[in-house]
Order: sequence, then C-alpha cells, then structure tokens
Amino acid sequence: MTAPQDSSGTGRPARRQASETAFTLLVQGVLDYGIFMLDPGGHISSWNAGAERIKGYRADEIIGRHFSTFYPPEDVAAQKPQRELETAVAEGRLEDEGWRIRKDGSRFWANVVITALFDEDGVLRGFGKVTRDMTERRAAEQALTEHRRLFEHLVRGQEQERQRIAWDVHDDTIQSMVAVGMRLQLLAGRMPEPYAAELAQLDHTVRDAVTRLRNLTFRLHPPGIDRHGLVEALTSHLSDVVESWGLTHSFEHRIDREPSPERAVTIFRIVQEALLNVHKHANASRVALSLESVDNGLLTRVKDDGNGRPLDPTAYHGHFGVMEMRERAESAGGWWSLRSEPGAGTTVEFWVPDLPSTSEDDVPTPGPAGDGASPDAAAGDGTSPPAATGDGASPSPAEEEGP
Amino acid sequence: MTAEASGPKAPPRQLDVMICDDNIMLLEVLREVVESEPDMTVVATAQNAEEAIRLAGRHTPDLAVLDVRFPGGGPYAAREIARRSPRTGILAFSAHGDSGAVGEMRHAGVTEYLVKGATNREFLTALRRLGGRLPKS
Ligand SMILES: Nc1ncnc2c1ncn2[C@@H]1O[C@H](COP(=O)(O)OP(=O)(O)OP(=O)(O)O)[C@@H](O)[C@H]1O
Ligand SMILES: [Mg+2]
Repeated sequence: MTAPQDSSGTGRPARRQASETAFTLLVQGVLDYGIFMLDPGGHISSWNAGAERIKGYRADEIIGRHFSTFYPPEDVAAQKPQRELETAVAEGRLEDEGWRIRKDGSRFWANVVITALFDEDGVLRGFGKVTRDMTERRAAEQALTEHRRLFEHLVRGQEQERQRIAWDVHDDTIQSMVAVGMRLQLLAGRMPEPYAAELAQLDHTVRDAVTRLRNLTFRLHPPGIDRHGLVEALTSHLSDVVESWGLTHSFEHRIDREPSPERAVTIFRIVQEALLNVHKHANASRVALSLESVDNGLLTRVKDDGNGRPLDPTAYHGHFGVMEMRERAESAGGWWSLRSEPGAGTTVEFWVPDLPSTSEDDVPTPGPAGDGASPDAAAGDGTSPPAATGDGASPSPAEEEGP
Repeated sequence: MTAEASGPKAPPRQLDVMICDDNIMLLEVLREVVESEPDMTVVATAQNAEEAIRLAGRHTPDLAVLDVRFPGGGPYAAREIARRSPRTGILAFSAHGDSGAVGEMRHAGVTEYLVKGATNREFLTALRRLGGRLPKS
C-alpha cells in the first residue's frame, strides 16, 4: 500500500520504514472497512481483512480480478464500474452507496469511496477503494423511519377522527340540546306548579349534560389550535380544565414563532397527558408550564409540586400515558423525559424540533407523506429517480392563498 | 322561574330583533323566547351569512343575534351587518368557549357575547343591555 508521501529520501529511513510497516499492518488488519487497491485498469491489486470479511473472498481468490465482480449484473450492464473509475479520475474521488455482491452471491448495501492515485508526474497509478457494509444500519434506519411514519400516520388519523367527532357533537348534538333546554325554560314559565318546577329540573339536567359534552369536545379537539395557535390552546386548557381540578397554574412562554399545526398538536397532546397525570397521581397544589424556543425546536416543561413518586418500571403495564408521551415526542424527532423527586414533585420535559418546513402544510404535495423528518429513501417505490423533491425552496405557488 | 318584570313606567318602542342561526331548532326557540317578551319583536331570521346581510340591510334591526360558527362566516357576517346597518347591535351567540373565536368577533365590532347554553334570562338580559334598555354591566 502507499505510504504517506515524503518529498525525498533525506528522512530517517529506519523510522520511516517502521511507521510504514505499522501503517500497512493497520490497513491490513482493519475489519470494519474493506480497504484495497485497483490498478489503473480496475483490477484488484491488494486486499485486507475487512474486505475479506465483507465480501467473502480471500486475497488469493480475488487479486487480479476486475472490481466489477462486486457489482450486480444490472450495474455492470449499465457500465457503472467503468463510469465510477472515470469520475474518480476526473474529480479525484467518488463516493457511492448501493448494492454490491458477495462471493456467495448475496447482496449487501455498501458505502464506497474510490480515490484516484496519481504519482508526482501526474500519471494515474491506480485507485484506492474503501468499502463499508451498511446493510444493518440501513435496515435499522428504515425500520425507524417506517415506525415513525406509521406513528405519524396514526396520530394524524386519530386527530382527524377526534376533530370530526368533536364537530359532530358540537354542531349537532349540543345545539339541539341547547334548543331543548331553552324550550323547557319557556314551558316552565308558562306552566303552573308542580309542572313548572319539574320542567326547571329537566332543564338543569339538560344543561349539565351540555356542559359535559362541551368538555368532551374540548378534550377531543383543543378549540382554536388550528386557527389561534398553541399558546392560546394551552391557555384555554389551563383555565378551562386544569383550573376546574383546583390546581394553581402558571404558564411561561417565549417562542419565536408558531409551530406547524402538527407540531402544535403533538405538544398539546403531551402537555395534556402530563397535566392529567399531575391531576390523577401527583396530589400537587400547583403546576408550572413553560414553553420555549430552543435549538430550532420547542422545549416544554410541566413541573408539579406533588408527591414525586418515582415511576415503578414494572407498573407500566396497562398505563399508556408515559409510553404515548415519549412515542409522540420521539416520532416527531425529539426527546422526552420524566424526573421525579420524592417530596419535591415531578417534571416532565420534552423537546421537539420545528424547522421551518414548507412540506408540512398538509397539502398533498408530490412525494411521500410530506413530513420534514424523513426525506430521502422513503419514496422507495421506485416511481421516480432519487432527484431532490425540491423542498427547502418555496412552496408550490398554487397553494399560497388561504381562504 | 318568574317572568321578567312586566311593567316599566312607559313601555318604550319595541326592539326589533334579527336572529341568525343555521340550526333550525335553535332558530325557532330563539324566536319564541324573543317573541314572548313584550318589548321585543323578531323582524327577520336568517340561516346563512348572505341572507343575514341582505335582511340586515332591509330591516336595519336594533339587534342581531349571530351564531359565531355561521355558514358563510360569523365574523364576516358581523362586519357586513355593521356596514349595511350601523345602528344594529350584534350579540354573538356561540357554542364555543373558544376565546379565539370571541376575539375574532370582537375585531368585527361585536361587543356582546354569549355562550350557547346560557339561560333564557341571561340571553334576554344581554339583548336588553345591547339595546340600551339596561345599564351596561
Ligand atoms: N406527575 C406525577 N406525579 C406522580 N406520579 C406520576 C406522575 N405522572 C405519572 N405518575 C405515575 O406514573 C404512572 C404511569 O403514568 P401513565 O400516564 O403512564 O399511566 P396512568 O396515568 O396510570 O394511566 P393512563 O394510561 O390512563 O395514562 C402513574 O400510574 C403514576 O403512578
Ligand atoms: Mg396517565
């Protein structure tokens, strides 16, 4: 293998020799990377342990063969190996990810860097090639992406369904019951006793039911979150719901800009569950909510002064709140944590990224689900070449104007 | 519940009321609640913004009861009613406890706001206050 260049022979040959030997040993022994050389025509001229591990060939089986052996037939047919060498010559190096073939015919997902090697006179002496097996990492990433995609899908579906139910209850059921109540009051005013009192009683019952239904619709769909934003929705939640639990509350917010609607719902739902837990479990007298723009995202904290009972990990069975909060934050690309201090209370803290994204606006844009979190690879259905789908730039002009 | 105090000294002119709600049951009962008061008359009812705006222009009522979530847009209807009939006092009547919606109606010039589910008495009190028959609270 080539050693680090030296301008002349005036160094200390012995030292230099020793370091070259060590370097050669390192390269030969590395297992995580296939490191080998090609002659200018693309024939393999050296081989290391990593290459053997990844590709399955021993040095004596592969040296002298053309490196296109590693490429799938379709790539060979498309003359990809040749083009890669040409690019490396023209640009000095080439990086590629793709399928390669092992000795036993199986495929692995490789990250490959080819470097063209020139001597002092500018003559091409060959190529250095470094290959990594990314199969497992790729599978893990894909599993994670898929998992997130499914979860987001689920959350979106659930929110839409809740919103629909909330509107139905709201527009139809509640209004009819309100009308019934008003009519009962009218009747009560016109009837003699004992009917008047009975009607008044009925009216009360209807009124209570209306209140309960209204609270239900608020829980189903935070009022105003789409139009009036996260802070407004949280403020109403604190004053309408948390106050009715008899909890003193405070709300501090310093946010640079309104998060996207989906992020707003994510944050609202996590806070809603954290607050519900304070109510159900903490035996607290006050709760502090804070919301702050941090690192291109939003950091949210729900801190109570309750019993701070440490979570018993074995008691998670049948409890979904904690799991769901974490899942929501992580699927949005963020993190979630819960800290308990016996006697001092519990703090739920989480961060979710909220980069200004143009693809988030729920408008069906070309390409995959349109979540900023998982750009490439996701469109693995081979419908289009992996060209950039033009995010980052401006939103498509057609959807600019709102109602 | 007893009827509202029946006889102020000299009953003033009737208050003309327009009622705007897309829910027929509510529209009907609101009409009846208003009609059963001696000092008020329903002069028009509307089930959408277009209709409400047109009728406001024709009748220039003293008062309009307006659903916040109204087909054609509550805030829009409020603005247009105020433009066609500046003398009309608008009572926003909403099934929301949504303070954002209230804010939007306020911007449209609505000063009196009531959540659906309030009692008939509260409703009538709000109307009279808006019509200048009661001191502002
Ligand atoms: N703020 C808190 N203070 C004290 N204990 C808490 C607090 N939050 C959570 N816990 C404890 O953690 C447990 C798990 O909470 P989690 O939200 O997962 O389940 P849950 O509230 O019991 O049920 P659900 O599935 O309805 O949410 C609770 O049962 C409670 O013992
Ligand atoms: Mg819970």
